[in-house]
Amino acid sequence: MAIAKAERLMNLALCLLGTRRPLSKRELRDSIEAYVDAFRPGSGAVGSDDSFNRMFERDKDDLRELGLVIETVESLDGEVGYLARRDSNRLPPITLDAEEAAALGLVAKVWQQARLAGAASGALQKLRAAGLPEDVDPYEAHGALEPHIPVHEAAFEPLMLACRDRRPVAFDYRKATAARPEPRIVEPWALECWRGHWYLAGWDRDRGAERVFRLSRITGKVRTRSGKFTAEVPDVVTVRETVASWAGETADRSALIRLRSGAGYPLRAKAVSVRELGDGWDELEIPYGHGLDAWLVEFGPDVVVLEPAELRADVVDRLRAVAKG
Amino acid sequence: MAGKPVRPVSAIDQTRRMLSLVTYLRERPGARVSDVARAFGITEDELISDLDVLPLCGTSFRGGDLLDIDTDGDRIWWRNPGALGAEAAEPLRIAADEATALLVAARAVATLPGLREGDRQALLRATAKVEAAAGEAAGASARLSVTFESEGGVFADVDRAISERRRLWIRYYSPGRDELTEREIDPIRLVSVGHTYVEAWCRRSEARRTFRLDRVAEIRILDEPSAPPEIELRDLSEGLVQPAAEDPEVVVEVSPGGRWVAEYYPHDSADELPDGGLRITLRAPDPASLRRLALRLGRDGRIVSPRELADSARRAAREALAAYDVPAGDGGPAARAKPSVGEEPRVGEGLPEGPHGVQDGLYGRQEQQL
Repeated sequence: MAIAKAERLMNLALCLLGTRRPLSKRELRDSIEAYVDAFRPGSGAVGSDDSFNRMFERDKDDLRELGLVIETVESLDGEVGYLARRDSNRLPPITLDAEEAAALGLVAKVWQQARLAGAASGALQKLRAAGLPEDVDPYEAHGALEPHIPVHEAAFEPLMLACRDRRPVAFDYRKATAARPEPRIVEPWALECWRGHWYLAGWDRDRGAERVFRLSRITGKVRTRSGKFTAEVPDVVTVRETVASWAGETADRSALIRLRSGAGYPLRAKAVSVRELGDGWDELEIPYGHGLDAWLVEFGPDVVVLEPAELRADVVDRLRAVAKG
Repeated sequence: MAGKPVRPVSAIDQTRRMLSLVTYLRERPGARVSDVARAFGITEDELISDLDVLPLCGTSFRGGDLLDIDTDGDRIWWRNPGALGAEAAEPLRIAADEATALLVAARAVATLPGLREGDRQALLRATAKVEAAAGEAAGASARLSVTFESEGGVFADVDRAISERRRLWIRYYSPGRDELTEREIDPIRLVSVGHTYVEAWCRRSEARRTFRLDRVAEIRILDEPSAPPEIELRDLSEGLVQPAAEDPEVVVEVSPGGRWVAEYYPHDSADELPDGGLRITLRAPDPASLRRLALRLGRDGRIVSPRELADSARRAAREALAAYDVPAGDGGPAARAKPSVGEEPRVGEGLPEGPHGVQDGLYGRQEQQL
């Protein structure tokens, strides 16, 4: 039976961390049981040098993922060696009190996405090893609070890595109202989760402009492209403001409506002013942003738009479409 | 009260954990299996499986000094802690993904309106320390951010009621019926998934209910003790609204401009239509509550079934039109005033023309049964 990957990675990590001089690939291959076992001469592994090299490269990448800084050093006689120096791998001193530890304990459980959930636990374990106090149950300390960061979109992980490594990506994207997706090439800047949905901000190369994408509208695979970013990454990327304005959150005007008494609590909660008309109706002034017409129509006969005329016409238009069925 | 944490299963996660375990065990000869498992946030079985691997590991190029780590199932002993050399078991620096995972989540929780000030301060202090310790690795965490929404005052009252084990009185808005109802609830936990909710035992319906905080119109902490029955907590990570199989079926056909319905409503199926639209089948305990959706869709979609729902939306629209003093069907001047918003996304890539449904906040808010 093949030796488990975690055992192989652990041995490679301990070898690289324990050595004071660079170790050659040959030395590592000959001393780590998992490599000896898999690539034993005469084991029948075809092209075993190539497959060892591939496995070794992947293993180094995996160790770098978990934070190991591995140096590649070329000796005078041209041989390449590897080591993980203590001083570049040591966690700087960090002292956290019990309250801070409890806070981090809560935070480490927030991610619902496997990779980041694993990373968060991993960080907490490293801090535990460094002496993070452990006598407080975070759930006791924080009452019964459970924050979750939902990640349902398949595009999340590749985009997160592309944002991290600043790599351009290509994907198919279906606009809100489009029947078919279109290919996009994007330099991804930042991801933001708002109201449970993930959005990407970046530079759209074909359009030569900044764009915000909703991850749930990305169809198919996200593919990483070679090469670097061509546009400058802004210091501050504001995804939320853009999305909020799409969602009608930024009202620049106000509207006057009649609302049946007792109905439409959320309209009342947002109202600038409410005046009782006394005939079973109230008059409300409410903020008027994008999408207000669609919302008002939801209240059916309990809402009548008075002003402005444009909003009134939009609402009538929508009601007509429904009335015709 | 703990939710079910996501179990890391990858070899990378296990390796990372074992490296920390080695450091941790070196300082604690004879550590208890149960204590170590709790400190590492893993089950005892997971810990034992790590302890099975560790004796096969070591710095073998130096001549086979394997770790002599041993357990009797209760305590753990490491008999040759010198095997790794003096420095080789020091805590490891934090990786970029680790810093991102911890810092992004910490910043999100710290901005929750209503969080206790002491907790917020502890969180901010911890975040600053982790950021400093992570150094350069913390940089990429700025590329990810998460906002939780919550009503600060309501949050603080619910939080207090939970910790003091007291009952709450609320006036709560149900969007499906467009009405406010008063109820007494025994709060169990606060859950933030984009929006923040309180899961509680509702004394009015004698059932478990989830209430979204921004729909709580009024709240009072009562003197009576809270006494929710012992109920099993659900794993809410897959969504708060889980329609039941016995709920009546609703079929909606939408044009491309109405595709947002599939993004906001949990549904059984969404089949592509030739014009780029969708035929969506969903379930609602009370289909009448979907009248709002039918009205909102306008020309971007129609209810196929049940028939009564389509009829009631049509009736409501006609009744509403009567107040405008315009005929219902003839396409007067107003009918051509403007293309429906769906055809002309206003900004950028165009969101659904107004989100509503389970996760949204702003206008509409159809949330079945919450």
